[in-house]
Amino acid sequence: MKPLPDHLRTILQQYGVEERDVFAWMECDRDPDGTFRNRWLVLDAQYLYVLTDPRPVADKTFQGYVFPRSPKKEATVPPADVQVERTPVENIDSVFVVHLVASGLIAAKCPEEKVLAAFTNAQMREAAQFVRTFEKWKKGERPESRQDDERESIRACPTCGMPYPEKDRAVCPKCMKKHALFVRLLSFAWKYKRSLIWIIVFMLLNAGTGLVIPYLMGTVFFDQALGGTGRFAGQIGLVIALILLFRVLSLLFGIAYSNLNARMAANIAFELKANVFSAMQRLSLSFFQQRHTGQLMTRVNNDATDLQYFFVDGIPYFIVNAINIIGIITILAVLDWKLTLLCLAPLPLVLWVVRRVFPKLWRLSWRRHRRMSRLNAMINDTVRGARVVKAFGKESQEIGRFQRANESFSQVEQSFNKLGATVFPALNALTQAGGLIIWALGGYRVMHGHLSFGDLMSFIQYILMLYGPLQFMNNIVNWWSYCMSAAQRIFEIQDAVPTVVEKPGALHLEKMRGDIEVSDITFGYEPNKPALKHVSMRAEPGQMIGIVGHSGAGKSTLVNLISRLYDVDEGEIRIDGIPIKDIAMSSLRKHIGIVSQEVYIFMGTIAENIAYANPDCSMEDIIRAAKIAKAHDFIEKLPDGYDTMVGSGGYALSGGEKQRISIARAILHDPAILILDEATASLDTETELQIQEALETLVRGRTTIAIAHRLSTLRNADRLIVMDRGQVVEAGTHEELMMTGGMYAKLVKQHYEALKMKGVG
Amino acid sequence: MTSDIRFLHRENAVFASSPGGMLSLRVDDETYPVVYLHCSFPHSEPERYISVRLPDDKEVGMIRSLSDFGGQTAELLREHIRIRYFAPAILSIKSIREEFGYSFWEAETTAGTCRFTVRSGGGNVKTVTDKKLLITDVSGNRFVIEDIGKLSDREYRLVEMCM
Repeated sequence: MKPLPDHLRTILQQYGVEERDVFAWMECDRDPDGTFRNRWLVLDAQYLYVLTDPRPVADKTFQGYVFPRSPKKEATVPPADVQVERTPVENIDSVFVVHLVASGLIAAKCPEEKVLAAFTNAQMREAAQFVRTFEKWKKGERPESRQDDERESIRACPTCGMPYPEKDRAVCPKCMKKHALFVRLLSFAWKYKRSLIWIIVFMLLNAGTGLVIPYLMGTVFFDQALGGTGRFAGQIGLVIALILLFRVLSLLFGIAYSNLNARMAANIAFELKANVFSAMQRLSLSFFQQRHTGQLMTRVNNDATDLQYFFVDGIPYFIVNAINIIGIITILAVLDWKLTLLCLAPLPLVLWVVRRVFPKLWRLSWRRHRRMSRLNAMINDTVRGARVVKAFGKESQEIGRFQRANESFSQVEQSFNKLGATVFPALNALTQAGGLIIWALGGYRVMHGHLSFGDLMSFIQYILMLYGPLQFMNNIVNWWSYCMSAAQRIFEIQDAVPTVVEKPGALHLEKMRGDIEVSDITFGYEPNKPALKHVSMRAEPGQMIGIVGHSGAGKSTLVNLISRLYDVDEGEIRIDGIPIKDIAMSSLRKHIGIVSQEVYIFMGTIAENIAYANPDCSMEDIIRAAKIAKAHDFIEKLPDGYDTMVGSGGYALSGGEKQRISIARAILHDPAILILDEATASLDTETELQIQEALETLVRGRTTIAIAHRLSTLRNADRLIVMDRGQVVEAGTHEELMMTGGMYAKLVKQHYEALKMKGVG
Repeated sequence: MTSDIRFLHRENAVFASSPGGMLSLRVDDETYPVVYLHCSFPHSEPERYISVRLPDDKEVGMIRSLSDFGGQTAELLREHIRIRYFAPAILSIKSIREEFGYSFWEAETTAGTCRFTVRSGGGNVKTVTDKKLLITDVSGNRFVIEDIGKLSDREYRLVEMCM
């Protein structure tokens, strides 16, 4: 438990309560009247105290906000101002959380319901913990909250208070220094150091040979060859040959680095994507369920591509451009330092314009991007929903919707283009102003013999060469933060810790008998919403257990826990007498098979899909499995048989066909424990009957846990468990449950009435 | 089209505040010590089509419009809607700083100065009506900008980059 704040300690002491007597306390931060107000709930053995600071909080900082400067000190609460109300625990039947939209109330039943306090969402976990502690105390158990506090404390960075983006990854992106990210990225590039060095060498040679050309075209050509002075006097042919030579060399070096770069880019992109993808595969199911598929695909693709730019366009160009800038300015200064200073005069103005206008341009481009995405989403929506659009005859409405989205995109596109069309020529003009200064002052100096005509020509060309690298450097800040954000997102996945972790030295089971024992488990996907409450069940080897109940009763959650896709919050699951947390993941996956309603067919042939769990099996095994699963006949009818490509872009299988393939997959997997999660729910009655036969063959000799909506599919179950709102409400054989006349009997009655209705229809 | 919606109005329903601060309801001859209000259109029509539900989520009935009730009852219902849909309305934005996939907001709201953190992307800053913007912070707390058209240019520029 967190230590009590000083003012609470002082107030509680007035009531004879010492900190050691307190079982639980929590701060509630909002008032039902719509303001923020602090209220504390404190529980000891006798009383539940509600302490209220009557003053509203006018300045509120929520979890995760990092102050620009040092955080303000919390205003002290004068104990005399705090109002205290206490209720004897014996008068309270229960304490519970009322879920509001983005906040909550904590209320007590004593025996009429009473609001104790209101809190914002950040306190939800704490409120759930408080309620649990109260329940335990009420039941006569000694509350123990330390473990949860520890779990809570690792959810935010201790240095800056920012919540970790991933709750199980104790790395704060804010405190993770940018240079640390950069070093980590560089270590990735280390593998390609040879390519990188060659690329930089060729880039430098390309830049170096390019830098010679303006000098040859200006000073050497005009002053020496044409002017008849110096080493190249009158040798126009030689000078042109030299210009050609350097141009060719520059071109060859350019081709060399581009080729190397192209190869390295592909390799880096490949490796980054492979890295992110494999990092994702090792994470638990909850990671995928917390995120949109689109977001994950973006990470694999876009972020990896952004990082590819870092290596390919970033590092080499930065080095080369920096050297170019230094090189050109040095040459210019050597040629005429006064003129150099003058022609760089418009540069601050150019940079100022860029700084002022580019953010606006960037905003417009962002707006354009958003409207474009909306337009695309709309097109996608209409195309996918074409059947519905046609069925309701809403084509003209869709055209109208499209026109509106198109118009709003077109408006922003125009603004963006207009601004671009104004800014870029203006920038060009400003840039050329530097050239004009050179023409004017340089011309003046040429006329007075202070500068040669050739030098002037070289000067102008060097100045033109300078603006590209300068523009690159100007954008480097944006580019840098862009790459670092992508790097941070990718490292986040690489560093994420799976929520379900295998214990070191976990047991590898060669064989499993299939004895499942679930004792008093409680589990919730969210902190205070238990999906399962105190559930116990037993399945002996070879038994078939049927789980029935309304949707949302917790049936699938129970089987997810048995197969350890999630870890239980309380209680224990044992298989063959061993807690599943002590069994190696590979053993669990090997011996537990799942056939569910959601069948996923991967891209590949039917044979590959059947052999998914056991790719080394023989063709005969595949056919045998397909035969048992009643899939063989329909596969044989296909022109490409078992070689038919299925999955995205392949042959479209019907729901029943997909299900039969998944059963064949499970047959080949040959698990000791089989979980059937609404395996036939999405099929029509006739297909279901066919699949039912296949399933009956499959369950023989295995411990089976079957969830089914249609109770007739559970007619062979040895025992039935009836679940409701996360609890087991009845258990027994079909006959026993029918005798008791409880929920199961009601469900059966409803089921047969529904069937009768179908018969009439 | 026949409907099986049971509408509650001043003739058949009496709402009252319980001593414990809960909302209670008597409809025809039944009494419900605790009911909760769920707006069907919390953003576009917060005062119309309000579902009155029991703690076990069963619907007792619907209120077609708060105006179907007298001033005091309507105010009581409004108060309970405010309790449920607590979201400080942003009056002005002091600053929004974007860093490492988060935006850090400092704003004056109807509930005082609020500083909160919003995770970038994932629809945490989104328009829910033509004018109204809903902002959800990292803990799931909600803030609203009732009319984005009333923001100053500077404020709009800041907000737009988070949308």
